[in-house]
Amino acid sequence: MFITDIRKEFYDFVVNQRVALLVSSDIDALCACKILQALFHCDQVQYTLVPVTGWQDLGTAFLEHKEQFRYFVLINCGANVDLLETLQPEEDSIFFICDTHRPVDVVNVYNDTQVKLMIKQDDDLGVPSYDDIFRDEEEEGGDDSGNESDGGSEPSGKRRRYDEGEVERRIERQRATREWEARRREILFDYEQYEYHGTSAAMVIFELAWVLTKDTKDMLWWAIIGLTDQWVHDKITHMKYVTDIATLQRHVSRHNHRNEDEDNSLSIDCMRISFEYDLRLALYQHWSLFESICNSSYTSCNFKLWSMHGQKKLQEFLADMGLPLKQVKQKFNSMDMSVKENLREVIEESSNKYGMKDIRIQTFGVHFGFKNRFLASDVVHAAAALLESTEKDESPGDNFIKALDCLSRSNLERLHGGIDLAKKKLMAIQQTVASCICTNLILSQGPFLYCYLLEGTPDVKLFSKPMALTLLCKYLLKAFVRSTRNKRCKLLPLIIAAPMDVEKRTVIVLGIPPESETSDKKNFFGRAFEKAAESTSSRTLHDHFDTSIIELKMEDRTKFLDALITLLS
Amino acid sequence: MFCEKAIEIIRELHRMGDGQLPAFNEDGIRQVLEEMKALYEQNQSDVNEAKSEGKSELIPTIKFRHCCLLRNQRCVTAYLYDRLLRIRALRWEYGSVLPTNIRFHMCAEELEWFNQYKKSLATFMRSLGGEEGLDITQDMKPPKSLYIEVRCLKDHGEFEIDDGTIILLKKNSQHFLPRWKCEQLIRQGVLEHIMS
Repeated sequence: MFITDIRKEFYDFVVNQRVALLVSSDIDALCACKILQALFHCDQVQYTLVPVTGWQDLGTAFLEHKEQFRYFVLINCGANVDLLETLQPEEDSIFFICDTHRPVDVVNVYNDTQVKLMIKQDDDLGVPSYDDIFRDEEEEGGDDSGNESDGGSEPSGKRRRYDEGEVERRIERQRATREWEARRREILFDYEQYEYHGTSAAMVIFELAWVLTKDTKDMLWWAIIGLTDQWVHDKITHMKYVTDIATLQRHVSRHNHRNEDEDNSLSIDCMRISFEYDLRLALYQHWSLFESICNSSYTSCNFKLWSMHGQKKLQEFLADMGLPLKQVKQKFNSMDMSVKENLREVIEESSNKYGMKDIRIQTFGVHFGFKNRFLASDVVHAAAALLESTEKDESPGDNFIKALDCLSRSNLERLHGGIDLAKKKLMAIQQTVASCICTNLILSQGPFLYCYLLEGTPDVKLFSKPMALTLLCKYLLKAFVRSTRNKRCKLLPLIIAAPMDVEKRTVIVLGIPPESETSDKKNFFGRAFEKAAESTSSRTLHDHFDTSIIELKMEDRTKFLDALITLLS
Repeated sequence: MFCEKAIEIIRELHRMGDGQLPAFNEDGIRQVLEEMKALYEQNQSDVNEAKSEGKSELIPTIKFRHCCLLRNQRCVTAYLYDRLLRIRALRWEYGSVLPTNIRFHMCAEELEWFNQYKKSLATFMRSLGGEEGLDITQDMKPPKSLYIEVRCLKDHGEFEIDDGTIILLKKNSQHFLPRWKCEQLIRQGVLEHIMS
């Protein structure tokens, strides 16, 4: 069931209890987790935090902790699958789910006792009504037996008439049931066909903090990072992003208003969050401007930087702005002040000439101490790189801890380490995209485009992780749409496969919807993958919380693809 | 040269700095004691000789041997005392049950001493703070909050806290627990205190 008053129905419930927090591995979940942890510290709620990477992990964690905890809080996992069926909990376990995955499974919505969803209902959910999907079985049986007993007590002559009437009624009822079932299947199919994302979990938990008036600037910053993560990984539409930014902007002005009232302004070490209408260049303040332009998907795709022509256009662009190459290739902080002064406006003007209308995007930046300024997207890239780092001895649990740590202000070296890793990751993505486009690795299979990263590709280990692969996939599709001349191919979705585990010979496969200006980011590959796997009995593992990402055995790749092609044609 | 063995056992103890307890050097002590016995006997015979035959040229040798004896005695007592201090610190660090590998390093008398020390500490703690006594080995530094956040560094299995609930300590899980229950495990290195 949906929770309407998050304070009364969730927080007041758990504040005197011990809670198990099961947190999924994405940045939005990490931010939501940080905010919730801060609230729990305030009120001394004892909790245990367990990171989970997929359904199997969730199942194991639940089994291990079900004896000791009654209340479970699931962050960014658990809403889109029938939770009670998967976990088989006891009667008294209660689950509070704060998840951005949509559509929410109907069983989760209509369960009144054990599953509580911390999701706002104005989130455009479109849940089918109860009567359309569920039906009490007893009514039907009662009618039948009643009629039969009536029929039986009558004398034989009349019975025949009654029997006929009764048989007709029964046939009628059966037809009605069949119709109802067919309609139910259709409704459920429509409802569950497309997968998309809702409001950021971090923002929901921040709202809880705000309602309790325990919100701090740190929590607001985490909420901002959670929302920016959804934007960086392209999970929400632009409209939704702008709306949510406006909501957060109100909170930011509320917090900043307190600073200006005081006679003595805040010390330089205090955290200041400010609204920025800043450039869409990844990590540009921690890198050189030139590198940032080359490795951000927006600019790189618009200039087509994988071709010589594109490189020349970039040089023209820089010359047009009057930025000397030497300056632009230096670290951003060492650029001349005269160059940095109106940089954003200058770049915006020139970008308009080159067809990049929205090089600037609304976002927030934080500023504490003399040296430390970060944009929200910087932190998202850094944390994502740490979360999915492929160093040898690190388990997913270790990476989770590192990424969680880098979000605190006291762990700046961790954050800087993350930024370095993110730079490497972005460069790897750029090079892979360039090589894929230049060697025409993207093939049209009819209803979709397909790309397979061979094992020998440099940095292919980075792409065995879902978030990195998603970024690569989106970037690749944008680049492909720019570089191809085939009009039909521009409207196709893209499926990408990369080796996941060399020893177990599996590949990770994910699909993204077609690229368009007004895309609603709804992804139908989840169901498609399931059906294709079933029909070919391929060995797949649908472990990830996003149903459009699966693991598949290398040998089954071809027949799986063939099944997909037939399914989607 | 005399007293070399004594210096050797002291050096060995000194090398293991920072409160660690090396194995009890039974052999070394025995050798030192034998040396002392030999010196003493030689001294005895020389003293008798000097007294009876009036050989005053033996007196410097006697004095020399006596100094060696005193030195050996000082070294041995220093060795034993330093070990006792380290064992005492172990009670404060590990609690009343010592890990078996440390217990192997102690000789029987040291174990006896440890037990006696434990008993006196317990009696003292019981006598404080009214009827229940006060556990002064907790909260060695003044605590800032009732509950602290800890992260599990290795799989430790199940852990019971005061109200009977059991927590599963698995690697990389984080918990928010009462401070007094965690201190032991933090000292043992199973949990790590997180300050955000």
